[in-house]
Amino acid sequence: MPILTIATLTLREAVRRRIAAVVGALSIALVALIAWGFWKLNAAIPMKEAAVGADSALTILLAFMFSVVLGIGSAFLAASAIAADVDSGVVLAILPRPITRTEFVLGKWLGLVTLVLAYATVFGTLALLGIGLATGYHPPHPVYALAYVVAQSVALLSLALLLSTRLPALAGGVLAVALFGVSWIAGITAGIARALHADALAHVAAFVGLLVPTDGLWRGAVFELTPVAVLLAEASRETSNVNPFGVTSSPPPAFLAWSFAWLLVVLTAAICSFRARDL
Amino acid sequence: MTPAPAIEALGLAKRFGRITALDDFTLTVGRGEAFGFLGPNGAGKTTAVKLLLGLCRPTSGAAEVLGAPLGDRDARRAVGYLPELFRYQDWLCPREVLAFHARLAGISLSSRTAQIDEALEVVGLAARANDRVGKFSKGMQQRLGLAVALLGRPALVFLDEPTSALDPVGRRDVRAIVERLRARGAAVFLNSHLLTEVERVCDRVAFVDRGRVVAQGTVADILGAARAVRVRLESPDEIALAILERYGSVDAKPPWFTLRGIAEADVPRLVAELAGAGASVHAIEPTRTTLEERFLELLRAGHADLDDRHTNPA
Repeated sequence: MPILTIATLTLREAVRRRIAAVVGALSIALVALIAWGFWKLNAAIPMKEAAVGADSALTILLAFMFSVVLGIGSAFLAASAIAADVDSGVVLAILPRPITRTEFVLGKWLGLVTLVLAYATVFGTLALLGIGLATGYHPPHPVYALAYVVAQSVALLSLALLLSTRLPALAGGVLAVALFGVSWIAGITAGIARALHADALAHVAAFVGLLVPTDGLWRGAVFELTPVAVLLAEASRETSNVNPFGVTSSPPPAFLAWSFAWLLVVLTAAICSFRARDL
Repeated sequence: MTPAPAIEALGLAKRFGRITALDDFTLTVGRGEAFGFLGPNGAGKTTAVKLLLGLCRPTSGAAEVLGAPLGDRDARRAVGYLPELFRYQDWLCPREVLAFHARLAGISLSSRTAQIDEALEVVGLAARANDRVGKFSKGMQQRLGLAVALLGRPALVFLDEPTSALDPVGRRDVRAIVERLRARGAAVFLNSHLLTEVERVCDRVAFVDRGRVVAQGTVADILGAARAVRVRLESPDEIALAILERYGSVDAKPPWFTLRGIAEADVPRLVAELAGAGASVHAIEPTRTTLEERFLELLRAGHADLDDRHTNPA
């Protein structure tokens, strides 16, 4: 199965180049630091209710940092996945073999998604376990939140993989990360515009948010990490959507369906783009 | 039933924007034949190979490889390729690179190890099979590329400048590999601008210049068209010179007169005619034209033709 052969090679490269080892070691150190920080924070707050509020806010901030690092990391990994093989001439040796370009692109994608999924699951679980052990705080839906964070990174790595079929690795990575940032800003802008009843701006910002749905997926993660009491308090404020760490509802099913369709379109575009490329 | 030729190309062309990389590429390479594809840098040799391997799409024309249309998956199982500019995954060792290609090529698990060992042995990398490719010299990488191309006992092997990074020993090894492939019935398409090695191992050759095939045929045919004899005449008169000119074009550097284009069978008649006309023939000897000389001659002729067209456009 050529797709699995390419996917396995992509995973082995991450392991062999010590990317996995370095990131793993740093992550374990970070988890220890996070657990210690939460423990100290809780020790400094005498009231239990206030401690829960602080724990939930800090958990969301940590999740944000994690999602940004994971997103940027996956974008740069994916941006070099095909471009680097084209630059080095590795594809010239691989593609004359009985493998289609579709299988090559899907193999790269599968390898990267597996890597992101494995890392996010291990780090996310360890971090939440660390916080739970240090403070006793458990966010409401950690598995769903993790799924949203992974979905955001998968969306970004798919976009970077599409860029990788035509652009040099660095250019593709920078462009993918820039679009990630644009989506984030579009989400905040849409919230501000809605609060100010600036409908035209709200529509444009929402449209930009649909072009790259990473911010919408991030807000899904925030929703799943926010305790019900905090959600109710946020709902009473008109400016809740302005805050990228404060949401009042989960992403609607239509948005999730759109995100899935968007992913398929981007992957199809990556395949078509690479198939049409002269090497 | 006779198997389809290893390669059959008809009017294949490739343009990149306004640049024509290859034009009207028409040739046939038989099974078990070693075919030399020669030309200066940038002539279109690599483009031709990439088209035949499905790495580029032709702008026009058609071709078949092992009797199947370009890019056919089954045909690619029986094709080996050593690219000109390439690098294998520097974090793998040669055995792992070969195992990866063996999986892609669909080589059965039972024969995989034996084939990998054989390929490593043939290219002289058996002792370095477990070293990291990243530490290899360009020549060692080229040997690994050859091993990858030989994997799966292909029926057709494309070698694009296979000796560009090799020392004389490596070049001799490549010649032995080509001969070995031919001996077991595989066709070899050898891209090179190192003409001496091509002359030694190839049955037929084609010259390409600025995207066009300017000559093709057996090595003997190509060199035969440039056959020449040198005649040493002391003070030849006009009659003797007229006799020489009847047999071919004359390049006079008295007392030597080089006669080009004369058929081998006509040489005794020429000598008899000269002697009959009273010319004193002191010596006559065939001149050996190498593929390199013939190649340069064809290039010069092509460039002169182009210059003429630029100077006197129709």
